Amino acid sequence: MKANNFIERSIVGTLAFLREAIFSQEIALQNGFLQSLDPRVKITGFLLLLLKTLIACDLHTLFFLYGICLLLVLISKVGPGFFLLRTWVFIPLFSLCIGLPALFGPGDPLWSGYFLGIKLVISSQGLFGALIFVMRVLTCVSFVVLLNITTRHFELLKVLRIFKVPQIFVMTLGMSYRYIFLFIEIIQNTYLGIKSRVGSVICYRPGQRLVAWNIVSLWNYSLLLNQEVYKAMLSRGYRGEDLAWSDFRARGRDLGWLAAVILILWII
Amino acid sequence: MAGCGYFNFMDNLIFELNQVYFSYLGRYPALCGVDIRISSGEKICIIGANGAGKSTFLQLLDALIFADKGSVCFRGKELNEKIFTDAKFSQEFRRQVGFIFQNSEVQLFCPTVKEDIVFGPLNLGFEKGLIQKRLEMLIAALNIEDLLERSPHQLSIGEKRKVAIASTLIIDPQVLILDEPTAGLDPLVTRNIIDLLIQANAEGKTIITATHDLHIVEEIADTVYVFGRQKKIVKSGPAETILTDTQLLQENNLVHIHRHKHKDKVHIHPHLHLDHHGEDA
Ligand SMILES: Nc1ncnc2c1ncn2[C@@H]1O[C@H](COP(=O)(O)OP(=O)(O)OP(=O)(O)O)[C@@H](O)[C@H]1O
Ligand SMILES: [Mg+2]
Repeated sequence: MKANNFIERSIVGTLAFLREAIFSQEIALQNGFLQSLDPRVKITGFLLLLLKTLIACDLHTLFFLYGICLLLVLISKVGPGFFLLRTWVFIPLFSLCIGLPALFGPGDPLWSGYFLGIKLVISSQGLFGALIFVMRVLTCVSFVVLLNITTRHFELLKVLRIFKVPQIFVMTLGMSYRYIFLFIEIIQNTYLGIKSRVGSVICYRPGQRLVAWNIVSLWNYSLLLNQEVYKAMLSRGYRGEDLAWSDFRARGRDLGWLAAVILILWII
Repeated sequence: MAGCGYFNFMDNLIFELNQVYFSYLGRYPALCGVDIRISSGEKICIIGANGAGKSTFLQLLDALIFADKGSVCFRGKELNEKIFTDAKFSQEFRRQVGFIFQNSEVQLFCPTVKEDIVFGPLNLGFEKGLIQKRLEMLIAALNIEDLLERSPHQLSIGEKRKVAIASTLIIDPQVLILDEPTAGLDPLVTRNIIDLLIQANAEGKTIITATHDLHIVEEIADTVYVFGRQKKIVKSGPAETILTDTQLLQENNLVHIHRHKHKDKVHIHPHLHLDHHGEDA
């Protein structure tokens, strides 16, 4: 019973988290600086910044770029604590996998010691390389996360369309988004459905069978849905052409943003 | 001859079906010998039990599926797969015939409500200024301003329905086909939609509706067609005649069976929901 409750709680919790993480557009709806930019211009600026981050090979530049990122966080009404947490989660992972071995690369010894009887030497080149690596990852991740949370999902898709990414690709992205939503919805509803009929105690086996059955029916449903959606598209004149309704309008502020980005990248 | 050269606009006949048969996957019969003639400017209703073939019939009219046997003609042209490979014909047909699905879920597939609404006119090559103008008009008529930037699949059923209706009305088609347009809607929205349809009909549009909701039939139909269990039209006639034919309606699951408690005795009787106001009073 207790274990059951634990599983139940964690399933419900995970679903709620997923929903929150993928579908909450709370930050994108605030009226901060980044949110007010034309998505096309914003994304162009971010691409430039990312490119610069990827090719930068000294620490100062990277620190500077990271500083810009944090500044953007502050003027876009993103909670700094939330943002740092979300981006720093990745860092230990990367540093452990790739950064750490780099520490012990060849070069002038900076520190040496014994670990489990093995002599380890940290070289200054190694330390420097590891730092640059971690900084670069951190900055890239931060820019990507920032762009992601300040832009609404559909705007990203729309910009992809406007940038002439083939529609089939964009549509698949959109559809997967929709299926994840549907899937979470169905699991939640099934769960509620079972609960309303058998109470809160769900044995493992039937539960498992129900989930499996639901995956089958989800598959069938999505097949049917696809056919019907296709009919609906036909009915409104779809002939397989790429047509996007762009109502984005670049204003002075957007040009200012792009100019600032280019200026900064040019100086450093 | 008006419009493009494809269609015969001389006489009033829009749809003409002769002995139409259709089955899903060749196994599940859905229509078995349907004959019907629909003229321009008519408003008609299709009623019948669940599974009687109403949706199938409407999809056939919109050329989303094609008859196995028999013929479906639109303004003198037979509708078949071949004729729809002609891009110009297909565009002209889609401009003239609009379809509102029974399941709004499938009709909405764009990332936002707004994109969904403009999908039709964009694909049919309408001018941007015109699209914008009609969009604003529909937003006002259906009161969907707040929904525009939202994702369609996160809306309530009634909101989805309104958006689906907007996405078809924006094409401003001559023939409007609606599959249960008012199912699951609150009375006020139902009223709005019926008013929209009546207005469209007054402007000369042809309205073809399938519904279970007998309250609305009289307002949106001159002629009512009843689809029976045989999956074909078993009776047709003016709304007043059909709606008072209790036996016919009962045979086709179209009347409510009510349980009433009169004093201490419970009795059950079939019950027609037409004089709503009279009965409630
Ligand atoms: N995709 C499908 N595959 C197989 N059979 C189908 C399919 N869609 C409908 N049918 C069958 O075709 C027949 C007619 O269905 P249709 O959807 O046209 O009925 P309907 O009158 O619209 O019913 P309802 O009032 O429930 O909407 C039914 O017997 C149904 O089982
Ligand atoms: Mg139906």
